[in-house]
Amino acid sequence: MLSDLKDKRALVTGAAQGLGRAVAELFLERGARVVLTDIDADLLEKTAADLGGAAHAVVCDVTSEEQVAASVRACVDTLGGLDVAVNNAGIEIAKPLVEQTEEEFDRLMTINVKGVFFGIKHQTPAMVASGGGAIVNMSSVAGLGGVPLLGSYCASKAAVLRLTETAAIELRAAGIRVTAVCPSFIRTDMVARLVNPFEGATGANFDDLVAVKQQRLGTPEEVAEMVAFLASDDAKFVTGSHYVLDSGLTGSLF
Amino acid sequence: MTTRTPVLKDKIAIVTGGAKGLGAAIAVELDSEGARVVVTDIDGDGAAKTAAELARGESAVCDVRDDAAVEALVADVVARYGTLDIMVANAGIVTITPLTEMTMEIWHSVLAVNLDGVFSSVRHAGRAMAATGGGSIITMASITGFAGSPLIAHYAAAKAAVISLTKTAAVELRGHGVRVNAICPGFIGTDMVQERKSQFEQALGIDDFGAVLDQAQGRLGEVGDVAPLAAFLASDRSRFSNGSTFVVDGGMSASLV
Repeated sequence: MLSDLKDKRALVTGAAQGLGRAVAELFLERGARVVLTDIDADLLEKTAADLGGAAHAVVCDVTSEEQVAASVRACVDTLGGLDVAVNNAGIEIAKPLVEQTEEEFDRLMTINVKGVFFGIKHQTPAMVASGGGAIVNMSSVAGLGGVPLLGSYCASKAAVLRLTETAAIELRAAGIRVTAVCPSFIRTDMVARLVNPFEGATGANFDDLVAVKQQRLGTPEEVAEMVAFLASDDAKFVTGSHYVLDSGLTGSLF
Repeated sequence: MTTRTPVLKDKIAIVTGGAKGLGAAIAVELDSEGARVVVTDIDGDGAAKTAAELARGESAVCDVRDDAAVEALVADVVARYGTLDIMVANAGIVTITPLTEMTMEIWHSVLAVNLDGVFSSVRHAGRAMAATGGGSIITMASITGFAGSPLIAHYAAAKAAVISLTKTAAVELRGHGVRVNAICPGFIGTDMVQERKSQFEQALGIDDFGAVLDQAQGRLGEVGDVAPLAAFLASDRSRFSNGSTFVVDGGMSASLV
């Protein structure tokens, strides 16, 4: 059946809430066993408990190479190997570029880009030992074009695409596929936090913008479906590609 | 268990160019996910052969260059089933011809199938779907629509145009519940590619086209690499995807070198 993940051993970063949680939830429904990682230990524990017995919580700050390596080891110890990894952990800054501080910019890049780099680097040997695998990185339509107030976020998500492409080519012979997903505005806390700064800075109504550009907000479940497809063997010849889900936002000039 | 429910149960689908290759594999995949598939092709016997392999298949002769024939096909399906849920505009042809030797006749012969045929399929399916509550249209583009593609200028130009057409159709039709997305395969081991290997080798001055593809894609693609993507895009699981291109090429287009 489509996007079957039966018996896959999966690791999802940033899984305490939002898109990461939705991905972990759908993976479990499709038959995977899942290690959820997040920096927020309390929320992570609660989420893992909500998701039931096949979900395992491992606290991890993706900006620490040692912690990323340890989270992969914990996954292998707990699940017996690693077949699928979703590098989802990320943050946003919603400010005009000229108002963003060096500290803010560096922190965002460290989480959103270096965190993915650490993920790919340490997930790879575990997947090689498991006979191959699939890595899905969370990019964004913000990696494909400019968005007011999201300058550093856009740059980080474009960087994720270049990491994805290069990793795909380098790891193809090892049987590891590397792909990315580019959602537009999805019904998450991250997008909810954007509304006030966006309306304040642009004078535009956010709901109107969403209605015109993408009809409605996407749902975390819709993003999770695309991640599940790419993670599954149904996408066995897909690597180095980024799959957009945006209800036409990037497809239209208007 | 939800994972065992066919994702296209009772959906009504048309697949053009379904006699062989990607079209036939997609017809089989949609059928396996529960859809009723009308397999069409200019080769009626070939379409019937594919349909015979399906649990709920039927076939029809359709030359997609004939706009009235495509309109009649869609009208017939809607008349009999009350709806059209899925259109896979897949029919396509190619010749291996250097640009400077490509006559207007050769140019137009490929554009007529690969672009005009897709246009007719999209516009008639789009109209029918908009009138019956929505649906999913899948166009068969190609990674040749993104990059220079020696010896197939007509094919690549048509595929680039199909990508553009897909995006405009998506935006025009989304208010009516119709989604339009493009699949962009790399080189797949269909007759279209296999039968022309020696022509590519001769024209490009290379010894082994297969080795070139192995280097670029890891391996030659198989129709089974593409068919599940069509089922995904046809299904409600991809309901937020519209106007997008979905590359399946083993990483060929991701690499600059």
